[in-house]
Amino acid sequence: MTTLLEMKHVSKKYGNGTVALSDVNFSVNEGEFVSVIGPSGAGKSTLLRCINKMIQATDGEVIFDSVNISGFKGRSLRKLRTKIGMIFQNYNLVERLSVIENVLHGRLGYKSMLSGSLGLFTNDEKQQAYHLLEMLGLKEQIYQRCDQLSGGQKQRVGIARALIQNPKLMLCDEPIASLDPSSAKTIMDHLKNISDSLKITVLINLHQVDIAMNYADRIIGVSKGQIVFNGAPSQLTSGDIKTIYGSDASNLMINIENHDRVKVAEK
Amino acid sequence: MSMKEPPRISPAMTSAPAMIKTKKLTKSNIVIRTTMTVLALLTIYGFFTFNNQNLKFWPSLMATFANFKTVFIQPHFNHFTFSQAVEGVTVTLALGLLTTIVGAVVAFFLSLLAAENLTNKTTSNIVKTIVAIIRAVPTVLWVLIFAIAAGLGSVAAVIGMSFHSISYLTKAYSESFEEIDEGAIEALKATGAGWWQIVFQSIVPNALTSLISWTFMRFEVNFGVAVAMGAAAGAGGIGYEMFMAGAFYFDIREMGTITYFILAIAIVLEILSTQIKARIRI
Repeated sequence: MTTLLEMKHVSKKYGNGTVALSDVNFSVNEGEFVSVIGPSGAGKSTLLRCINKMIQATDGEVIFDSVNISGFKGRSLRKLRTKIGMIFQNYNLVERLSVIENVLHGRLGYKSMLSGSLGLFTNDEKQQAYHLLEMLGLKEQIYQRCDQLSGGQKQRVGIARALIQNPKLMLCDEPIASLDPSSAKTIMDHLKNISDSLKITVLINLHQVDIAMNYADRIIGVSKGQIVFNGAPSQLTSGDIKTIYGSDASNLMINIENHDRVKVAEK
Repeated sequence: MSMKEPPRISPAMTSAPAMIKTKKLTKSNIVIRTTMTVLALLTIYGFFTFNNQNLKFWPSLMATFANFKTVFIQPHFNHFTFSQAVEGVTVTLALGLLTTIVGAVVAFFLSLLAAENLTNKTTSNIVKTIVAIIRAVPTVLWVLIFAIAAGLGSVAAVIGMSFHSISYLTKAYSESFEEIDEGAIEALKATGAGWWQIVFQSIVPNALTSLISWTFMRFEVNFGVAVAMGAAAGAGGIGYEMFMAGAFYFDIREMGTITYFILAIAIVLEILSTQIKARIRI
């Protein structure tokens, strides 16, 4: 298996002295579904944003697709970002635009300044957007304004916007934190499906340990800016939970025994 | 079975003081109260020390009302015709529209530089400071300043009014841009979109309603200023007719006609703006 992403000694220190990440090392293989867990403020979001350089790491190297991207700026950075899709807890859609317009935003990185600004997309791109929306079950909503959608639907638009980039890697920053359990499951199933069928690597921040254990191939536990666990879900013990969250698993209402692995391929 | 009295919290049970204030005496509270008291005292003092030049209050009030009655009940045309009045109103409207459009276009680009979430703090502060200084000087003064170079007339009026509109709209637009959720920008950045693409695909659609309502509001202001400019800077239009009728012919009946014309336009603008705001979905 080839390595898609490698973080070497990555650190991030904010201007006010807060250390968000210190000496983070890990690598992610192509097609892997990796979940990052940890308490709020542990540096999960910073970790994700250091990969597509929405946040500039203060130290260390990020190697994506065998290229050291640490020094990327301007055009090369934009080109890199087209290869990395991102979805957010608050969906971050342009609420006043239609569903398909929001999905097409995923193509902006490939377009010239003028045609992108004017929103001139080719028919191919529109076809692709349509297919993605069909796949995600939003065919009926393509002309609806995004502020009329439910949370789960908005997140699916977010996924479509990321997928139309033809990404190699999907960064998901707590994609289900604002969703009800049923919509959350739909979203997680879609992400798992994307990872399995499209062979897109998924790196996902999660608050729900049980969901992380059910879906992920690997779990990375972050606490106070450091990686304290890195291994398969089956290897995660109550002791690890305590190191990550600083509290006993039983106190946190987490049951790490007998979880059901979700296997989309079987369906 | 009798209803049981619900237990009450008696003062003896709590440690609350006997008198409870709902407002805490903070620094800002003290400042506000002191200011209000001083203003009230000054007002009373002012009324007692008016220099009324032996004007009798009631007869003067009656005379003013009599003038109002003449102005509004007996308007007539004397020095110009109805069609000339319509033309004057059109000129004034055009002056207001032109300066609003010039202001809106320039202000749009300036406000992109002034919005902190679109540029850096330094650029934003520089633009905001310059714009604040321009805005602090009233429109009329700008027109008169430009009149030194361009001479009193429509050219000075257009430049001066545009100048003030630019600074006003830059502030309004940039504030609407700054209110936009950071996530809407972040998401497009993450797709690899460039700055202009983010501006036109995310910022503008998000801020469109407030851009439109601020622009229309400025148009209403500019119409009013355009009337005044006609009188004060000889910019033409209905304002100039008003100046002539008032200061040259002392024809208050004609003033009435002009007032009705301006009132009609103001009402139309008001209706239009309410309609536009209702039509564009917030």
